[in-house]
Amino acid sequence: MKMLTCSRLNSCFVNPFKWIARGIILLFTVGNISVQAQEFPSQKQSELIKPLNKKLQSADLLAQINETEVSRVTEKPGLVSTAMQWLRSTDRPGDLQIHGFVSQAYITTSDNNVFGNSDNGGSFGLTEAGLNASLRPLPRLQLSAQVLSRRAGEGNSGMPRLDYAILDYQLYSHEANQFGIRVGRLKNPFGFYNETRDVAFTRPSILLPQSIYFDRTRNLGLSSDSVQLYGNAAVFDRGTFSTQFGVTLPVVDNRDTESSLLGLVRDGSLNREVSYIGRGIFETNDKRLRLGISGIWLNTSYDPKNPVSSLNPLELGPGGLEFTPVFFSAQYNAERWTLTSEYAIRPFQYNNSFQNPSLNGLHVVGESYYIQGEYRFTPKWEGILRYDALFTDRSDRNGSDWVAQNPERRHGLEHSRFAKDITVGLRWNVTPAFMLRAEYHYVNGTAWLSGLDNPIDLRTRRPFDTDQHWHLFAIQASYRF
Amino acid sequence: MNLFHFSIQIRILRYCLSRARSYFGFALFICFLGVKADVRANDHYEIVTNLNVSETALTVNSLRSIFSMSLKTWPDGTKIRVFVLSDDDKLHKAVSKEKLNVFPYQLRSTWDRLVFSGTGQAPIRVNSIEEMRDKVINTPGAIGYLWRANIDENVNVLQIK
Repeated sequence: MKMLTCSRLNSCFVNPFKWIARGIILLFTVGNISVQAQEFPSQKQSELIKPLNKKLQSADLLAQINETEVSRVTEKPGLVSTAMQWLRSTDRPGDLQIHGFVSQAYITTSDNNVFGNSDNGGSFGLTEAGLNASLRPLPRLQLSAQVLSRRAGEGNSGMPRLDYAILDYQLYSHEANQFGIRVGRLKNPFGFYNETRDVAFTRPSILLPQSIYFDRTRNLGLSSDSVQLYGNAAVFDRGTFSTQFGVTLPVVDNRDTESSLLGLVRDGSLNREVSYIGRGIFETNDKRLRLGISGIWLNTSYDPKNPVSSLNPLELGPGGLEFTPVFFSAQYNAERWTLTSEYAIRPFQYNNSFQNPSLNGLHVVGESYYIQGEYRFTPKWEGILRYDALFTDRSDRNGSDWVAQNPERRHGLEHSRFAKDITVGLRWNVTPAFMLRAEYHYVNGTAWLSGLDNPIDLRTRRPFDTDQHWHLFAIQASYRF
Repeated sequence: MNLFHFSIQIRILRYCLSRARSYFGFALFICFLGVKADVRANDHYEIVTNLNVSETALTVNSLRSIFSMSLKTWPDGTKIRVFVLSDDDKLHKAVSKEKLNVFPYQLRSTWDRLVFSGTGQAPIRVNSIEEMRDKVINTPGAIGYLWRANIDENVNVLQIK
C-alpha cells in the first residue's frame, strides 16, 4: 500500500504538466470568483485599468499574464481579475479581441482506456487550452489566429500548435447576403460541432459523439491549410443558407491518424495531397430549425521509409487512400430543449499499391449516427441524453464477416467493428465564464477506441486488453474569457 | 339525516364555487398584468446607433444579420460595432426574443462558433445600461439598444421594418 502511494506521488511529481494544468484551472477559478466579488466597484476598477492599458503594449501584457502573473497572483487574486478585465475590455485599436479557454477533465472507465490510463482508477488525461486573437484592420478584412494545446492520452501530448490562422475578406455584403474568401489554416467545416470541438462550452457533452467526431483521427479532421469561399444568402424571407467550399491540404503528420488509417504507427509517413471540403447549412430566421449537409474528399498517400525493393513482408508499400464521407445534420431549438441528430456515411478506398493483402484494394463503407436531446431546466442547469452508433462496415454491422475472413487471428474481436454508446449528462453553468459538467456512458463495442491508448500486440495483431461492454464516467471543469 | 347532509353539501359547493371564482379572477388579473407588462416592455426600448450612422431604418433581416455578426459593414462601407448586455439581462432578453425573434442562448452559440472557429468576432459586452449608452454615443458605427428613458438626442433611433 505504502509502495503504491509512493509510486503514485512519484508519478505525479515526474509529470509536472499535470500540476501546471491543475494550477492554471485553480487560478482561473480563483480569478473568476474575485471578478464576481469585485463586481460592485467595477467603475473604480475600469479607471484603474485605463492607465495600465496605456502603459503596456498588448504583447507585453499577454506575455506577463502567461508567465509572471501566474506566480504573482497566488497572493493577489485581484490581478488576475484585472488581467481578465483587460482581456474583456474593448477599447483596443483595430477592434482587437482576445478570447481563450481552459478545460480539465477527469475520466474513469470500467474497461478499456480513453485519453490515458483511465481503466486503472481514472485519469486526468484530457486537458484542453486555447488562446485566440482577432483583428479588423479594415471594415471588410479580419485576421484571426488560435493556438491550441491538447493533452489527451497517447495521441496528443499537449504541445501547443497553430490551430487556425485566417485572413478573411468579405467581397460582397448586402443585408443578409454576404460573400467572401478565407485563406490560411482553417478549421474544417463539417457537421455542427467540428470547427469548435475543442471548446468545452460549445460542445453538448465532454466527449462529442465519437461515431462522427472521432477523437483518434481528430488532427486530420480538425484544420487544414486551405483556400475557402463562403457565402450567406437569404432564402425567401424564411431563413439563411450559408455555404463554405474549400480546397485544402490536410494535416496528416501525426501518430494517431497513422495508427487509425494504416492499423499501426508506421516507419514511413503520410503525404498531404489536395483535398476538398464543403458544407451548406440552412437556418430559419428564428434559428429554430437548422439543416446541414457536408462532404469531404480527402486524399492521402503513404511513403515507406525504406526503398520499395528492400521492403520486408511486414512493411507497407507506397499506397494511396481516399476517404469521402458525407454528413447530414439536423437540429431543432426550442426555448427549453434542443433536439439534434447527425448521420454520416463514410467510404474508405485503398488502392492496390500497399503490397499488403489486408489493405490492397480495401473498400469499406462505414456508417455513423446519433440522436441527442438537451433540456435546459434553468439557464444554469442543462441535461443531455444521447444514443450514438458507429459501424466500421455498414454491410457487416456485428463484425462477424470480418472475423470470418481470418478467424484464427480475429476470433472474439467482433466488438472492434462497432460501438453503441448511451450517454446521460448534466451541465452546470456556474457563471457565464465557468462551467462544470458530469456524464456517464454505457458503451457496447470498441470501434472508436484509440489504438495508441489500447495498444495492439505486434505478435498476434490483437489488442492486449479490450472489452466489449464497458462504462465511462467523466467530469469536467471549464473556464473561458 | 339525509336532508342535513344535503344542505351541508350545498354549502360546501357554494363555498368552493365562490373560492374558485375569486381564484379565477385573480389568475385573470395576473394574466392581464403579464400582457400589460409585455406590451410596456416592447415599446419601452429602441435599437439605437451612433450619430454618425446615416441609416434611419433597417429590415428585421438586416438587424438579425448584424446581431448574428455576419453583416459587418454599414451601407456606406464603415465598420458596424455591436454592443450587447449580458445574456441574462432583462433588456437583452427582450430585444433578442421580441426584435430578433431568437433566444439569447442561440445568439450565444452563434457568437461562440464564430470566435472559436476564427471566422468572426463576438459583439462587445457592456456591464450596464449606462455603459451601453456611453459606448453607443462615443463609438463610430456603434449599434446597441436602450430603454426609452435613457434615450436622448445623442443617439440615433432606428426604425425596424
